[in-house]
Amino acid sequence: MKQSFKSGRLGYDLWVKDASADIKGSPLEQLTRQTPEGLSLKPLYTAADLQGIPFLDTMPGQPPFTRGPRATMYTFRPWTIRQYAGFSTAEESNKFYRNALAAGQKGLSVAFDLATHRGYDSDNLRVVGDVGKAGVAIDTVDDMKILFDQIPLDQMSVSMTMNGAVLPILAGYIVAAEEQGVSQDKLTGTIQNDILKEYLVRNTYIYPPKPSMRIVGDIIEYTSQFMPNYNSISISGYHIQEAGADAALELAYTLADGIEYVKAAIARGQDVDSFAPRLSFFFAVGMNFYMEIAKLRAARTLWWELMQQFAPKNPKSSMLRTHCQTSGWTLTEQDPYNNMVRTTIEAMAAVLGGTQSLHTNSFDEAVSLPTKTSSRIARNTQLIIQEETDITHTVDPFGGSYFMEKLTFDLINRAKEILQEIDAAGGMVEAIQSGLPKLRIEESAAQKQAGIDSGANIIVGVNKYRVQEASEIDVLDIDNTAVREAQIKRIKAVKATRDSKATEQALNALKDAAASDSANLLAYAIECMRKRATVGEISDAIAEIYGRHTATTQAVSNVYINNYKDSGVIDDVKQQIAEFTIEEGRRPRILVVKLGQDGHDRGAKVIATGFADLGFDVDIGPLFQTPEEAAKQAIENDVHVIGVSTQVAGHKTLVPQLIKVLQIHDAHEIAVVVGGIIPTRDYAELKKAGVVSVFGPGTPIPECAAQVLQAIKSKQKSEIAK
Amino acid sequence: MNVAFDLAEKILAGQRRALAKAITLIESTKHADRLIAEEILTRIIPHTGNSIRLGISGVPGVGKSTLIEALGKYLLQYNKRLAVLTIDPSSPVTGGSILGDKTRMESLAREENAFIRPSPTNGNLGGVGRRTRETMLACEAAGFDFIIVETVGVGQSEVAAASMVDVFMMLQLPNAGDELQGIKKGILELADILVITKADGQQKQMAEHARLEQQRALHLTRHENNWKPPVLTASALEDKGIAQIFESVDECHRIKQSSGQLQLKRQAQARAWFEQELVEGAKDWLVHHLGSSHQLADAESDVIGGRIPASAAVRHIFDQLLSGAESTTKKIRR
Ligand code: B12
Ligand SMILES: Nc1nc2c(ncn2[C@@H]2O[C@H](COP(=O)(O)OP(=O)(O)O)[C@@H](O)[C@H]2O)c(=O)[nH]1
Ligand SMILES: [Mg+2]
Repeated sequence: MKQSFKSGRLGYDLWVKDASADIKGSPLEQLTRQTPEGLSLKPLYTAADLQGIPFLDTMPGQPPFTRGPRATMYTFRPWTIRQYAGFSTAEESNKFYRNALAAGQKGLSVAFDLATHRGYDSDNLRVVGDVGKAGVAIDTVDDMKILFDQIPLDQMSVSMTMNGAVLPILAGYIVAAEEQGVSQDKLTGTIQNDILKEYLVRNTYIYPPKPSMRIVGDIIEYTSQFMPNYNSISISGYHIQEAGADAALELAYTLADGIEYVKAAIARGQDVDSFAPRLSFFFAVGMNFYMEIAKLRAARTLWWELMQQFAPKNPKSSMLRTHCQTSGWTLTEQDPYNNMVRTTIEAMAAVLGGTQSLHTNSFDEAVSLPTKTSSRIARNTQLIIQEETDITHTVDPFGGSYFMEKLTFDLINRAKEILQEIDAAGGMVEAIQSGLPKLRIEESAAQKQAGIDSGANIIVGVNKYRVQEASEIDVLDIDNTAVREAQIKRIKAVKATRDSKATEQALNALKDAAASDSANLLAYAIECMRKRATVGEISDAIAEIYGRHTATTQAVSNVYINNYKDSGVIDDVKQQIAEFTIEEGRRPRILVVKLGQDGHDRGAKVIATGFADLGFDVDIGPLFQTPEEAAKQAIENDVHVIGVSTQVAGHKTLVPQLIKVLQIHDAHEIAVVVGGIIPTRDYAELKKAGVVSVFGPGTPIPECAAQVLQAIKSKQKSEIAK
Repeated sequence: MNVAFDLAEKILAGQRRALAKAITLIESTKHADRLIAEEILTRIIPHTGNSIRLGISGVPGVGKSTLIEALGKYLLQYNKRLAVLTIDPSSPVTGGSILGDKTRMESLAREENAFIRPSPTNGNLGGVGRRTRETMLACEAAGFDFIIVETVGVGQSEVAAASMVDVFMMLQLPNAGDELQGIKKGILELADILVITKADGQQKQMAEHARLEQQRALHLTRHENNWKPPVLTASALEDKGIAQIFESVDECHRIKQSSGQLQLKRQAQARAWFEQELVEGAKDWLVHHLGSSHQLADAESDVIGGRIPASAAVRHIFDQLLSGAESTTKKIRR
């Protein structure tokens, strides 16, 4: 070929000229975008950008694993399609799993309800609104056996998202298998067992951090001895991103958590190679396509590097394997079919980044748990990528891309800065206690919210290209009263037929073990499960020794307002609030509450911080309040309005209860508004119960604030009229 | 029915809702509310004064709220009825605030015998001091026999808090180091009890060290003669040292009571309250009556511009006011 083209520096200078001409002489820098991670995305990358990148041209299956943990990746065997699901009773979930397996799904992933997550039996009064709502209710090993009925546990890999009540649940699974005739060494799958991110974002902890870390260690130890094919932990960034973190925070905090677990296991005298190969990871994949691909490549590279401090001999000890899930947060209630497109794009990023297994979300997940149809489409998204395209035919297709390699490198370096901050705080356990990482995540969430609310970040169908007619989609509704009654019946039956003396003995032994330093708690929990102790009994026994953890709520301020790009809207609301303040003799005062075991606090936090920025006095209730507790707080603080933030569908049970309690205490003038994940068909029922306004997903905060102010005034008017 | 009368009756009957509403009226910046609040206070004041009033102060994050949670739960075991008043600094830029103290008192907040009311400062620490005192009285009338006032320690607010309680407790971090030096003077003299917080984990040793250091420092400051302020360590997290704190508070209160000091102290506080109200009231009155005229603004800008000394400007305003008042009285006489 003749040199009829120009490359390198010469070509680049020409490109600069051409590009400047394209944008009519305005500075070229305007095409460089700043990402939330603090990185710059240039419009063009060249070979010059590859300078100094140490992992270039390494091979998949070889350290530092940038290009993938396996040599052949999907060219030989595609990733595992593993859909996370579970709802209401063990029977229903079991039916659902068996259907999914028949339809091409390869592994199971169990979602538990929040009562189970938090170690409460279904008959506990604190969980009246939670049983069976957002996952399957498990109280005893009998439930567990129904859950896996006709599913051969020696062949099926089972992933379980369980962290708080990890001992009774893992024990229940092992005993269910045992009674199926499958010994524990045959079990394959993963237990999440990642307690640190619970304190950070997911909020289904039970005990304080220190004893919880011991439990994590016990499980790593037990499984490495007796369950060689089982992943003892799934170190999760997923929830960190979903709570609002950008890719760098997600990456850094996840790996920092991982390092903390490794250190804990080594401190117990375990050899790094005895457990590290069974550590697995879990990341979220959102809409920043390139960034997400880079994140997975960066995660593998950085994990390899971080693990070298422990001098592992087995290369697999520093090889990061990961599950991925498309982001639920990017899905919208508005124009919901768009969500299929979003999920497809995210699934592609996960695959191009080299994930080992994948969950794709259903298009209706911004409203409720998926229906049969929406689940099928979600699963088919992956099947289509695997079966109909050539995407699987080559390993790490982005390898060698000037842009991707540089982005991977930049992200690694940004993550290292955050890791240093954690190091300086004395590691992740210490950092979590100081509250700093959580505040960083909430800051990032408030920034995102301000970006969307002010229209700076576009979401199709939400803040641009909105459709007038709402599309009604089928919504799964779970009758939690019926589930609860069924569960209570089964608990009673189990308690009536078990050898109570033996149960008590097993529970006492567990308690003693918890009080001593040397025993392995999982072994004792297994014995309790064999003796038909319940999840709640086991959790309580341990709580007697360790106590229950209460979180300290902190909140950022001025982040929302500083990131809101249109001051006109803000000034208008502030003005309304100022007028109200003069008329009323004090600022509008709101109590933002979370009821029941629902731990989604992202919505509540952005509302709290946004409202305070706009001029409200904001009280934040602790997580897990009962309606009675929330009412007491509202009454004492004499707030104008209670704002219930609800995401796991407890609203139909808990909100009317709250209003009733207010009335009993002569506090009928306190207005109640509700926001969060609420299907539109529930609006009328809530209003009939006395709710003044309902706010669905995607409502901009200034609009929420203005409407809440109206709600207060209309409540005051109607009280005067009475 | 008269709102004030109704609320006062309900407060005396111990109704939580009425107490909460009365506090709102007490804190309200609206003139009409103030009048009602004063009427309520006038009705209930004969039923006040029967509690142990404890003030707790210290820098943000020292552990005040968490300690109150622990102390409160301890108190409730002895069938006390406890009211906690916390003062949260508002965000000065936007004016709104996040009132976070109560979330640190999660289990105390659930208790039937506890009443916790966080109040925003609205950027005016002195002002809240003024209303907190009245709120305290309302709580006493509602039958609370132990009252804790939590204030953020930023100098001015400690003085305000100390001037309305019987026993004043300062909290300090175990690693306060240099900060210690700053607090020592003045403020420390206000403290009846000093507690080094977070004496747990890696900080345990440091806390003990800080305790000894403080004890030495306190030796040098003067205090009311029959009470030597103890320096204690505590961990709210591990529930350690709580009983000792309670005993110290109780003892301090008892000694002051039996020696007659408490009565004198409360009388002095009431006098200061009166004087403060007089000054604040006069200022309010002035702003209210002259706020809309240019008189105040003009005088102010003259002072700022360096044209008139402040004292002369103020005297001038009063002279004008008085001559105006005289001429109207004369007119009326004629
Ligand atoms: C983020 C998220 C998480 C994060 C939560 C992180 C955190 N700390 O909050 C993580 C990953 C940890 C998580 C976990 C789980 N999740 Co989730 N999660 C979501 C998701 C994707 C987004 C929710 C969100 O935060 N959105 C952003 C915020 C800002 O929006 P918002 O809450 O809607 O709030 C806005 C408005 O609604 C309104 N608003 C909200 N509250 C209030 C209050 C007032 C006073 C006012 C005025 C306005 C207002 O203003 C806000 C701003 O516009 C939703 C699905 C979705 N797309 O909505 C599922 C979803 C809520 N999760 C769900 C489930 C089931 C779970 C789990 C229980 C799963 C399981 N079995 O393990 C767990 C357990 C969590 C727990 N402890 O409770 C379900 C609930 C199903 C249902 N309703 O029937 C959903 C709907 C997904 C689904 N379809 O499966 N989740
Ligand atoms: N280690 C330890 N931390 C504490 C203790 N008491 C409070 N804290 C922590 O210190 C922080 C501030 O506590 P808080 O009570 O809100 O302080 P306040 O601002 O003085 O009211 C929180 O993160 C608490 O968890 C304690 O006794 N030990
Ligand atoms: Mg506090």
